[in-house]
Amino acid sequence: MSAIDARPAHSVAARAAVSMGLIAAMLVFGIGVYQAAALFKGAKTDIRRPTAATTGALPGTMYVVQHGAIYRFDRGSFHQITSEDGWMQPAISVDGTRLVAVKRALNRSDLYVLRTTGQAILQLTHNQSATVEANHWAFYPRFGPDGSVVYFSYDAKDPYNTFRVDLAIFAASAENPAAPGIQWTEPNQYTGGDVSPIPLQKGGLIFTKFSIDDQSNVHSQVWLQARRGSAGVALTKPADDCGQPAITADETLLAMVCRHGGLQADDLEVVSLQGATLGVPTVVVQDQLVASPIFSPDAKLLAYLAPAGDAGPFQLWTVRVGAAGAPAPRRITSNLDLDPSSPPAWTSP
Amino acid sequence: MYLPRASKIIAGFVLAGIVGLAVYFLPAVQSASTASVGTGPISIPVPNPLPSTTGPFTVLLLGSDDDAKFPQDRVNTQSMILVRVDPSTKQATMLSVPRDLWVSIPGQGFGKISTAYQTGGPNAAVAAVESNFKVHIDDYVWIGLEGLVRLVNDLGGVDMLVTNPVMDDFYPSDINTTDPYGYYRVAVLPGAVHLDGVHALQYVRSRHGDLRGDFARSERQQQLLMAIKAKAAHLTAADFPGIASAMQGELKTTIGLARMRLLFSMGGDFTGSNVRRIVLLPPYTTEGFAGGQDVVYPNWGQILPVVHQSFP
Repeated sequence: MSAIDARPAHSVAARAAVSMGLIAAMLVFGIGVYQAAALFKGAKTDIRRPTAATTGALPGTMYVVQHGAIYRFDRGSFHQITSEDGWMQPAISVDGTRLVAVKRALNRSDLYVLRTTGQAILQLTHNQSATVEANHWAFYPRFGPDGSVVYFSYDAKDPYNTFRVDLAIFAASAENPAAPGIQWTEPNQYTGGDVSPIPLQKGGLIFTKFSIDDQSNVHSQVWLQARRGSAGVALTKPADDCGQPAITADETLLAMVCRHGGLQADDLEVVSLQGATLGVPTVVVQDQLVASPIFSPDAKLLAYLAPAGDAGPFQLWTVRVGAAGAPAPRRITSNLDLDPSSPPAWTSP
Repeated sequence: MYLPRASKIIAGFVLAGIVGLAVYFLPAVQSASTASVGTGPISIPVPNPLPSTTGPFTVLLLGSDDDAKFPQDRVNTQSMILVRVDPSTKQATMLSVPRDLWVSIPGQGFGKISTAYQTGGPNAAVAAVESNFKVHIDDYVWIGLEGLVRLVNDLGGVDMLVTNPVMDDFYPSDINTTDPYGYYRVAVLPGAVHLDGVHALQYVRSRHGDLRGDFARSERQQQLLMAIKAKAAHLTAADFPGIASAMQGELKTTIGLARMRLLFSMGGDFTGSNVRRIVLLPPYTTEGFAGGQDVVYPNWGQILPVVHQSFP
């Protein structure tokens, strides 16, 4: 008989129980390692609601969009003013009392006038249809200088070309939804159309126009059109591929995003604006993903959206305008997922 | 071998941890070391294996509309991109093959090059490109619609510059639907964007509202490829299991583990300037009519010299 066999039965049972316990602990440990590996991967994404973010303060009040909701940003805090329901591209009236914004749904989008608290007070467009292709899009709304008119991009249907969906810029009453919209621009066919209108104080529009050249290359240009239906003039060259214009309140500076033929990065440029003449551009952000610039009300800062690193969700950044040397951009947010196709709306307090 | 009791216990825990890690990483190892990922019925040997994984190599990327309208593995290839990668010079060339290119398909006669896959699977698609373009293809990667969506989502989305509004009133509503013949409207707005899988698919699949039709789509597909490569530079080994298991038969490839690692490690090297992109617009091709359908005729006299600058 061996020594082990000589042990009492209760001792063998206790050892077996301890062994089973250890094996169970090892199993739990192995499962824990598996879970930890998965957790390590998942921990990379840490997107927060703006209301849960800690940020620096900016002068005035700004409106930004994340995940279909509009947020008001003032004194360093975000306040959600609409539900997450397809809201995008808010713009503020010159007097700072009203917003006009897009509410996007499947197959269509509509324009609404809202109070600055987020309450919708008027639906300007009714673009819904039971037939899929009979729905309409409305994007990029901006109030005109006196607040009575809203300019926006809209896809008027071409009855002879079913597949053609080009956005043209229209003007419509900001107070009377029943009044018919008026088409301002004539887009180049099958390019996607004209977008990002900015009404000028003395009439006219600055916007982005797209074209396709003989070599089938797509170009975007910042365009100036003085009157409804006129041909307008290009402010930038096709090869520069500029778009997303923003101007200062006194209309002397223009910011734009130019990709110069690139497909993975673009530049943020600021240039003097005098009528239909642009000065020499200053590149304030180079060779990054940059979107949706907007000047501060006092024109001292330029805000824009860009990833925190070289990729990833878009954050709010600012850079000083007209400062000597090359001012360093300042990142305002770090964990948000802001909508880069919604330029911030920025107004005085 | 005798081990003290405490050492045995510690060894047991270490072994349990290793097993836990192994189970987690197993899908990645399997995906990179086998010819077919997931549950797809096809398991195809490497067509033309190279002895070295560090030399230049050519991959044929295939994308199919594998929705409910088509029997499984009887699909066309809506996207065919020939990619040449030179790891030593960090140069790459992408050539998009028009899906409607009217060519001689080995064993089938003349037809659209996109139909080769339908009758003979990836090997037939590889053979059709090799015989017409006079190139050597080392590996292929095939991905389905949902596979692309899952891949982009598992990468955490991709960052792109949308060059112009991509508008389509008749975009197929054929994923996760009871009516694969339905459609909906798409509007991808211009500028820098962060796209999830569904929207990335919309961007590269839409074609109705663009003057350049399928050629524009080819350009956007190449652009997405560059965005995926850029995103792959941020991956770690911990990301591979999720990506591999997410494919669920929506990805098939002959690329081996060593070359896969090489491609992922090079992801950040492709910044645009070292990637040559070729789309066979006129005069390389002309539109025409053959076999009762709209087709694209190749101008081989123009195409082959350009192809052979980059593809042996």
